[in-house]
Amino acid sequence: MKTTFGTSAGTQDFDSIEDCDVILIIGANPTDGHPVFASRMKRRLRGQDGRPPARLIVIDPRRTDIVRSPRIEADYHLPLRPGTNVAVLTAMAHVIVTEGLADEAFIKARCDWDEYKDWAEFVSLPRNSPENLEPVTNVSAEDLRGAARLYATGGNGAIYYGLGVTEHSQGSSTVMTIANLAMATGNIGRRGVGVNPLRGQNNVQGACDMGSFPHELPGYRHISDSTARALFEADWGVTIDPEPGLRIPNMLDAAVDGVFKALYIQGEDILQSDPDTKHVSAGLAAMECVIVHDLFLNETANYAHIFFPGSTFLEKNGTFTNAERRIQPVRKVMAPLNGPKGQGLEDWEVTQRLAQAMGLDWNYTHPSQIMDEIARLTPSFAGVSYDRLDEMGSLQWPVNADAPDGSPIMHIDGFVRGKGKFVVTDYVPTDEKTGPRFPLLLTTGRILSQYNVGAQTRRTANSVWHTEDLLEIHPQDAEDRGLNSGDWVKLASRSGETTLRITVTDRVATGVVYTTFHHPSTQANVVTTDFSDWATNCPEYKVTAVQISASNGPTDWQEGYEALSKRSRRIADELPAE
Amino acid sequence: MNSVERIVLMINQIAANLMHEADPAAQTAEHIRQFWGPRMRSQLLANGCEGLSPVAQDAVALLN
Repeated sequence: MKTTFGTSAGTQDFDSIEDCDVILIIGANPTDGHPVFASRMKRRLRGQDGRPPARLIVIDPRRTDIVRSPRIEADYHLPLRPGTNVAVLTAMAHVIVTEGLADEAFIKARCDWDEYKDWAEFVSLPRNSPENLEPVTNVSAEDLRGAARLYATGGNGAIYYGLGVTEHSQGSSTVMTIANLAMATGNIGRRGVGVNPLRGQNNVQGACDMGSFPHELPGYRHISDSTARALFEADWGVTIDPEPGLRIPNMLDAAVDGVFKALYIQGEDILQSDPDTKHVSAGLAAMECVIVHDLFLNETANYAHIFFPGSTFLEKNGTFTNAERRIQPVRKVMAPLNGPKGQGLEDWEVTQRLAQAMGLDWNYTHPSQIMDEIARLTPSFAGVSYDRLDEMGSLQWPVNADAPDGSPIMHIDGFVRGKGKFVVTDYVPTDEKTGPRFPLLLTTGRILSQYNVGAQTRRTANSVWHTEDLLEIHPQDAEDRGLNSGDWVKLASRSGETTLRITVTDRVATGVVYTTFHHPSTQANVVTTDFSDWATNCPEYKVTAVQISASNGPTDWQEGYEALSKRSRRIADELPAE
Repeated sequence: MNSVERIVLMINQIAANLMHEADPAAQTAEHIRQFWGPRMRSQLLANGCEGLSPVAQDAVALLN
């Protein structure tokens, strides 16, 4: 979105859903992954506000619950083959342009017309028609044409997307394709429309805003930008390396090569959450110093040399920034329990102690001082302070002189970058291929009662509802292999293999299987590959070629990992004082 | 895959996805300058053209 609109963030607030006429969901399962917002979405889809219900298009390999639930029935469910998002959306663009449904008045006023013409010429090519792409996408051309017409002509059209978009080798291309569709149909810059990411975690937006990418400073300014760098250098009193750093997969590669020595991991369980678990474990094992800072002894902690106990959201001050760019205060209501009484530390204090131990002169006494520093250095946060957050309850960035109370809807009178940019995004198949050895495609996701790798929720009574990861398989694929619901199977890919039980369901199409990744005993990411998005290196969790066969026990990896877990959690006997 | 195999895969992927840019090789080289650290760029240059697509090869020439 930074390329097309000028900002890396959703264009709307959550309230905007109330003015939607057509909701297009792609690669997201809000019922399970975003249940709070999903309840608002369902309310609009049921027409409980006295208006006709919004129409619904769902693009997802699985028949997720929102496709058909009480008083909700999607107008179109396009059960695409995993990995073909760009092809499906380009085919929708083909229909919109070739049938004269584009909003040319909007495009001429708000976008670069020449770039639009180039894009329109590309998507109009016969090879991008729904009929031509149907063998690639497995989506009925008739349904796809209907969905495209509905999105373009149904009134206010809003697109909501999730990790089923970004976690692909063409994840960033898909986001640009989505942005192209919104601009082509004039669905941007007012309530009820827009491009809305449903983020994977509560503070993904906030982490990105604050320069967590290895090539950026806070506020999405590139590290090679000497003006931005000088600003931070003057404030921090240090010299900043103008070169980009490493992303996680490249860190692990460098560790295996012996040149990346240490890692500080805060609030992340990369051993279980990152793809190709064997490669992650090899990288961690090769490092000289792994520090894990977390609420729990998570799976990554098995490889830690040092463990810092974390603090919960009730034990610390700070902010979380959600998918609608809303900076939300987090306020401490109890002293942290991660130390002797009265000596517990908030997470930022632990990090500051580490910095001090490394010789840095950090002396913040409250995170409000850190927010003041952010406001001083980051234009989109210029008007943010703890006092303002207390006064307003929360603020949606940008918060500055032009928008002192924040910006619920973006790009109202013009795009942040000036003219909206249409980008040609051709479908490039993933390098992960099915074949005789691995004929099925695995895609992964979440369930309502567990959160992500389950580091937090597996330690609660939520596990009553989800005690294990199950593999969903179509009845025909199960019958071909002589399998029934409840059977143990070996799930194998080019990366590795694991065992789990299956559930037979037509929720998935033939040729597609699905599982969750909440349980370390399964470790679904032993199977996923290290392919990633071409631009961001976001792992391609959603497309793995696999084979399934009957199994009667855990794999060697599972047995070895269980032994490692037990060894790493032993507590040494107390040594006598000398 | 090892780290060299990964960077060969990555540059070929980048080049394939930038094929519709006015100058795909220049855009590929610029992407690498912006997002790859010095060690990865050095590994790429040391690898030469082995395994690279034609556009990726042109991009490497621009990075030399």
